[in-house]
Amino acid sequence: MSDTGSSEGTARLVVGPFNRVEGDLEVRLELAQGRVAAAFVSSPLFRGFERILEGRDPRDALVIAPRICGICSVSQSHAAALALAGVQGLVPTDNGRVATNLIVATENVADHLTHFHVFFMPDFARAFYAERPWFPRVEARFKAAQGSAVRKALETRTTLLHVLGLLAGRWPHTLAIQPGGVTRGADARDKVRLAATLGAVRRALEEGLFGAKLERVAELSAREELDRWRAAGPEGDFRLFLDIAADLDLGRLGRAYDRYLSYGAYPGAEMPLYARGIFTPDGAGAVDLSAIAEDHTHARMEHRTHPHHPFDGSTLPDVEDETGYSWCKAPRLHGLPFETGAVARQMVDGQPLIRDIVQSEGGSVLARVVARLVETARTLIAMERWVHELTPGAPWCAQGTLPSHGRAAGLTEAARGALGHWLRVENGRIAGYQIIAPTTWNFSPRDAAGMPGPLEAALVGAPVRQGETTPVAVQHIVRSFDPCMVCTVH
Amino acid sequence: MAGLETFYEVMRRQGITRRSFLKYCSLTAAALGLGPEFVPQIAHAMETKPRTPVLWLHGLECTCCSESFIRSAHPLAKDVVLSMISLDYDDTLMASAGHQAEAILQEVMEKYKGNYILAVEGNPPLNEDGMYCIIGGKPFLDQLRMVAKDAKAVISWGSCASHGCVQAARPNPTRATPVHEVITDKPIIKVPGCPPIAEVMTGVITYMLTFDRMPELDRQGRPKMFYSQRIHDKCYRRPHFDAGQFVESFDDEGARKGYCLYKVGCKGPTTYNACSTVRWNEGTSFPIQAGHGCIGCSEDGFWDKGSWYARLTDLHGVGFGIESTADRVGLGAAAAVGGAVALHAAVSALKRAQHKHGNGSNGSSHTGDAA
Repeated sequence: MSDTGSSEGTARLVVGPFNRVEGDLEVRLELAQGRVAAAFVSSPLFRGFERILEGRDPRDALVIAPRICGICSVSQSHAAALALAGVQGLVPTDNGRVATNLIVATENVADHLTHFHVFFMPDFARAFYAERPWFPRVEARFKAAQGSAVRKALETRTTLLHVLGLLAGRWPHTLAIQPGGVTRGADARDKVRLAATLGAVRRALEEGLFGAKLERVAELSAREELDRWRAAGPEGDFRLFLDIAADLDLGRLGRAYDRYLSYGAYPGAEMPLYARGIFTPDGAGAVDLSAIAEDHTHARMEHRTHPHHPFDGSTLPDVEDETGYSWCKAPRLHGLPFETGAVARQMVDGQPLIRDIVQSEGGSVLARVVARLVETARTLIAMERWVHELTPGAPWCAQGTLPSHGRAAGLTEAARGALGHWLRVENGRIAGYQIIAPTTWNFSPRDAAGMPGPLEAALVGAPVRQGETTPVAVQHIVRSFDPCMVCTVH
Repeated sequence: MAGLETFYEVMRRQGITRRSFLKYCSLTAAALGLGPEFVPQIAHAMETKPRTPVLWLHGLECTCCSESFIRSAHPLAKDVVLSMISLDYDDTLMASAGHQAEAILQEVMEKYKGNYILAVEGNPPLNEDGMYCIIGGKPFLDQLRMVAKDAKAVISWGSCASHGCVQAARPNPTRATPVHEVITDKPIIKVPGCPPIAEVMTGVITYMLTFDRMPELDRQGRPKMFYSQRIHDKCYRRPHFDAGQFVESFDDEGARKGYCLYKVGCKGPTTYNACSTVRWNEGTSFPIQAGHGCIGCSEDGFWDKGSWYARLTDLHGVGFGIESTADRVGLGAAAAVGGAVALHAAVSALKRAQHKHGNGSNGSSHTGDAA
């Protein structure tokens, strides 16, 4: 449903519902001189998981929290397990940690593949672009539900998810991740099957998506290399995307604040695969968890007087609230909005290509999409290593005892970015459970200072042609964040 | 209905070859428990029958059902079913956007009035006049009622639509309500599970589209062919249950030996579903095989029955208890045989359906008898 109205030179446009995003989303735009002057992002779906969790056996968070989302369920389950491990002071066994990394990485890579093939690229196969030189190729490869690349990607993803079948019993809504590790150890035969599965996925991506070895993509280090890849690189959908990006100038579309947050992904014996931290125009820094707070000024939630740290947070919907325009709260770090996701992880970790892109022309649709693809290659390479690290017969799950009182945060990285669960246990039951999901950061509404959330900022300046009711530029920017709306509000 | 494409024509248009089509027919026969002799009959039905449009709506949900569905066992089955339902309206996967999508929905509803199937993923929240799930500026409840009005049958995908699921757990902040409590004048088939198994979903929808009728349902409205047996009845760890060998904690000696998970909370003995036979992710595994108990996600109220990590205490209702004597376990086995009989009955019903359609020479004369 879209509608327009105008008064004194500015026009309003409501875009939504969006299909090919996970969950429901509506964006209200104010237009002036053919561009977006202001954007208001609304998450129109609320379920109240945080309330449902209160009063229950803390272990039940492992079953309830993943059901926030059928696409990021493993990440939700990992965050819940980490929070429970935190209150028990429990450290997962090495085997458990490595298996958990494989499980989480599988979902994240699967999500990146879905995003590129099913959610993002089909927009370029719309009739709107019929005159562009690259259109016939995009149409053949990416037309929704029919394109050859789309079918192939869904097959590859199904193959990849065998990893979750083997290690975790099923997907979606996996149950295997526990505070002390996993519920099942891999034996030697599993390792062979895992390696074969990852090998098949590697081949599929090297043939269709990249047209090159994963290592070559992972090691890209400068903006000019990307230009060379576009001009003379191997044939593949990556190159096709670079062609489109150059033609439509996606490197200058959808810039937000260039402030990035990552909790760090895939713990190692000493350090995680992707570092924890923040990266802002002032440079790299550490994450100060005590400086995270959620502001309810423009969320339809009670307790609007001041922002709350998630340990003191609440989720009490207020349907009478007229200033609120979303169920989504506005999380801020040091009072500022931060962007999260693959681009944030790669910025914080210092992947040279992504840093070069963002520091030379700003975070953009291009930066977000390239970061996801580079990360896909990097993560798959790490997964192959983790399969070797699994030790058949070694302990896979440490045991702990839940204290009757305690609190801890479970912080992990979902495909879409930083995910945190803040758990408080009192008298052996859950007394408080607050969740800040990646898209809560990215698609947050304005805060008390009127500061727009990252997507709201990214949309400003996007071109909207006369008569366009679902402006393509807006679609590209929204989807470049790979939103997960059911996680956003939960 | 004149001029409507047949399923086979739709598949051809999607680039599916004759060979693949026949392979699909045999897969379907196998999934529905039919012998190879039924393959030509299924093929014939699909070549002559006009396509039944399916409208797939999303309410308050997490999309796990769609996620499960799109990776069913055989990529071909998924392709075929997707082309069969043709994504007439599925807002997660569809190509068009915004009002275009709404226009397609309206168009299909008008053109196929009384002849389309409505598949619902998720459920409507009733508190605050439906404000917790707004789609295109209106409560999902309104959209659901509007589309259900002229549907010939409704499929409730998953536990949200069938029962409410965890979003309806105490205190049920939004009053999330299963579909059959708001749509009361249509035949409804429930396919519970969080999510349901992909092959169960494709099996149900294929059955309905191929034979133009509902599969045989149990008293709770679930298709008997997939929900007539307990996880426990066909669990490969069952011998350890009978022998009293249990896992006490994840990764203990019992876990290493693959003992029964009853004491770490397995709900297999009270859960009717096909996980232990069909399994997940192309038959790779299922939760119990990965060392975690069944959480009973296909059972009504599974979200408010006490901790998932506490052992079941209400086994008496199902015919045997944990301290069962051999006689009482024998009773349980008898119940399993009862399940097999029911399955046989379902297959017989299918055979009758086959005959009916095999005899009908004029596919275009079909009127919906899904009721």
